[in-house]
Amino acid sequence: MSGGSAPPPRPAVDGAGRWIDRLFSAHAIALYLFLYVPISLVVLFSFNAGDRTGELRGLSLRWYERALDDPFATGALANSLIVGAWTAVLATTMGTLAALALQRTPKAVRAVFDAITYVAIIIPGIVIGIATLIFFVNLFAWINPQLAAVWAVAGLSGPPKIGTGLHTIVAAHVLFTMAIVTVLVRARLAGMDRSLTEASFDLFATPFRTFVEVTLPQLRPAIIAGALLSFTFSFDDYVIASFVAGPGKPTLPMYIFSSIRRGITPEINAIATMVLTMTAMLLVVVGLIYRRSLRATAAQRAAERLDAEEGAP
Amino acid sequence: MAPTGRRRWRSTIATVLLLLPAGAWYALMLLAPLVILVVFSFGDRAPEGGYLPALTFANYQELPTRSTAFFNALWMATGGTLLCLVVGFPLAYYLATRAGSKRTLLLVLVVVPFWTSFLIRTYAWLTILGNKGIPALLDSLGFGHVVLLNTPFAVMLGIVYNYLPLMVFPLYVSLERLDKRLIEASKDLGAGRWATFRQVTLPLSSAGLLSGVILVFIPIMGEYIIPAMLGGGKVFFIGNALVDLFLQSRNWPFGSAVAIVLILVILVAVTVYLWLGSRGRGTREVSLL
Amino acid sequence: MTNEQFWRIHEDLTKGRISRRRLLEMTGIGAAAAVLAACTPGSAASPAASSGNGEPTAADWSPPKGVALGDKLYITTWPNYHNPRTIEIFTALTGVKVELNPLGSNEEMLAKLLIGATGWDVLVPTNYTFETYGKKGLLEPLDMVRLPHLDTSRYDQKLLANADYPAGSKTLYGFNKNWGTTGFTYNKKHVSKPMATWKDFFDLARSDYSGKATIHDYQLTSIGNALVYHGYSFNSVDEKELLKAEELLLNVKPHLFAITSDYQPPMRAEDAWMAMTWTNDGAQLHADIPEIEYVIGSDGGEIWSDFFAVVAGAAHREAAYAFLDFMAVPRVQVFDASFHKAPLVDNAAIALQPADVRSNKIGYPDAAQLTKLEFGTAELLTNEARAALWARFKSA
Repeated sequence: MSGGSAPPPRPAVDGAGRWIDRLFSAHAIALYLFLYVPISLVVLFSFNAGDRTGELRGLSLRWYERALDDPFATGALANSLIVGAWTAVLATTMGTLAALALQRTPKAVRAVFDAITYVAIIIPGIVIGIATLIFFVNLFAWINPQLAAVWAVAGLSGPPKIGTGLHTIVAAHVLFTMAIVTVLVRARLAGMDRSLTEASFDLFATPFRTFVEVTLPQLRPAIIAGALLSFTFSFDDYVIASFVAGPGKPTLPMYIFSSIRRGITPEINAIATMVLTMTAMLLVVVGLIYRRSLRATAAQRAAERLDAEEGAP
Repeated sequence: MAPTGRRRWRSTIATVLLLLPAGAWYALMLLAPLVILVVFSFGDRAPEGGYLPALTFANYQELPTRSTAFFNALWMATGGTLLCLVVGFPLAYYLATRAGSKRTLLLVLVVVPFWTSFLIRTYAWLTILGNKGIPALLDSLGFGHVVLLNTPFAVMLGIVYNYLPLMVFPLYVSLERLDKRLIEASKDLGAGRWATFRQVTLPLSSAGLLSGVILVFIPIMGEYIIPAMLGGGKVFFIGNALVDLFLQSRNWPFGSAVAIVLILVILVAVTVYLWLGSRGRGTREVSLL
Repeated sequence: MTNEQFWRIHEDLTKGRISRRRLLEMTGIGAAAAVLAACTPGSAASPAASSGNGEPTAADWSPPKGVALGDKLYITTWPNYHNPRTIEIFTALTGVKVELNPLGSNEEMLAKLLIGATGWDVLVPTNYTFETYGKKGLLEPLDMVRLPHLDTSRYDQKLLANADYPAGSKTLYGFNKNWGTTGFTYNKKHVSKPMATWKDFFDLARSDYSGKATIHDYQLTSIGNALVYHGYSFNSVDEKELLKAEELLLNVKPHLFAITSDYQPPMRAEDAWMAMTWTNDGAQLHADIPEIEYVIGSDGGEIWSDFFAVVAGAAHREAAYAFLDFMAVPRVQVFDASFHKAPLVDNAAIALQPADVRSNKIGYPDAAQLTKLEFGTAELLTNEARAALWARFKSA
């Protein structure tokens, strides 16, 4: 087989091929319809002039005004953004660090850590929510008297009282997302030039710089993917958040859930549409950045492949 | 060049420091809660509900009373995963064989629904499947009256709708990476389409298939919102049973036992699956993604 | 005191005179306009400007002077149970923004309170919860000084009796919001068979109208009414009787459209033709869709009363009391009820309600219809056998 760049797939030119291709297209169109009809309805009803979702009574923007004017809706959105951002940052950082460290640990340590990561990914959200909530309640019940005692000894007034809040949601979200990041980064590391990684560690004189200049660029796609996944998961999670959220700090999905119970109004549709628009724009931006780095790595991969093939007997 | 003892020592410290945050997090947020769950599962229900310390196996003995909910989840998870696979594979293949910019756009379009609120996009189906939605349409077309809402069908639809992107994405990634020259070679060697698909495309995309199946199967096993919203309390998953035990009947010890067994079952199922999958692929490494 | 006696007292007290001016203010048109206005952005601006449509104004209630109320209040309540406009007026008068968090059942409320850290300020628990909540210290005894507009002497003593703890003491943990019954609704358009009893309900649900009925996702009412089907007490915790109820429920289950406490949407969409229903939902459904009738089982069932209560250690305590005091004003109660349609307990408020509301048999049924109904006992909320039965039933 000749080396060099891969030729594009030969287009199917015969009759059966064309027929199959059309079948694929039809299937894709059907699936896109399936994916988008419900969402279009959500968007459509966000412009409803009437009060109920389901009966369209003219178009208006009043529900957008109302949503933006509703401190609980905007507050919940802000909470979700905060939780999502913290989750993404913490999960990506700790997950990546762990993945890097695991490259160099003894096999036994790695096996244990892998097993734990594996369990963290596998446990259903509902179990994480319940288990961590019970854990937090017990932990705080134990820790708050201790704090009070320490404060009393120190002669300070008003001991701090730790409770559930946005931080507990972040803590629970990071568990799952960090594990995902570790797996993603490790997969990337496995496909990476090992000698470079080792060099970055062994050259301890300027380890940070080596890391920043050698390892990080190679890991970037995995890290970006991990951060995006972490944020998305955290931003949209209802199950875990509904258990471990603190007093008066609901996230957007929690706000949406109670709105549904209140009897859904187009206000929720307006919020959903705004979030959708925001994320679509974010996706475009990320997509553009990713495409640039993808082009760079593609060129690099092609070069590597060329090297490998020339080196082979 | 053998590293000096000093350097090795420093490197070990660095490794430990790098591992520490994640390790501490797991210990606090995963192991400690799991230990509490295990302890609770041997306890008694407090009079008004909650947990009372005890040492009893009664909660585990009572597990068979939840077998219907458990098997509901298991069948729906298996069926839902297969359905996502059957429906998603052709789409992933279609995406992977498009030209550059069109492909990006189509790919983004698969992901975008994922970025609308899970609750809202599931709720949207209530209107569509409800009496004044599709059933009214079918009725007017002369298909007679059908009930869609609060049926296993509705729940399955909700599952496929929500989890399809999670299946398509890894499949796409592995199909996109697939060296097209192998397919060409197969065709050049006179293999038919089906033979090429079976002997080249499918085995080479098995990594994506493996992770897609896992990504979809696990969350469905723990699902409770979709059955609650589209199943009307009649299509009951083990996740619903769990929520019920903690947020209604307040039997925490029994709930803990159910949770632990659920974790174990998923753990065993996924491990066996990955092991079989990796054996089939001839690799030693067992990987999730 | 029996239910019959309670109802007689109730009737006597409601026959107060109403001034002509009040009558004019209380027209249904006025209330409808208020609801419409509530949906227009920016209409919350000045409640003092409009009082002709029954909307409470600063003249009816003003916030306590010299008290910092804060800016937020979290109320945990039931679905379709508050007039959004009432809440907006409260916000306009006080600057306190209110978040309503509707739950599905008192059991869910208890479960979340037991776990702790809810962040709730005000609850709307039902009569049978006070013994458990009192014992657990989950609520705070009402501070009457902070409730100048509350006058419990205007209230029906029978309905009030359940908010004290320990039972029989003078310590009140709540005052009445509304009362009501647990009956069922059916849509005349589809249901032609006579529906009068729980026996009719469950039997038709599994025969003629299979796939068209819903029951509550709540052990207390669903098990209770299944017990009534067999002629037992709504409050039974007898092992054998519960077994019979479980048999019935399991037998009916495959025929149900849903097990849900949010049954208004399926009833409105005609997905469901009959539903186990609370008074306020029944009245709302009937008002919008006259074909939907509300029935109190002539063979028995539940009468209930919900209360306003303040959560122990509430973060927004002053705002909570301000809201409670606001809701104690008769004109506010009347305005609120014009939306949610649950009957009132405060006789001063009932006297202000329009004649058509007071003669509405869904909200204010004849005394004879209530004789067989029972208030749920405190035991029901925490009884383990009932909780286990319900959990078993749902996962069967």
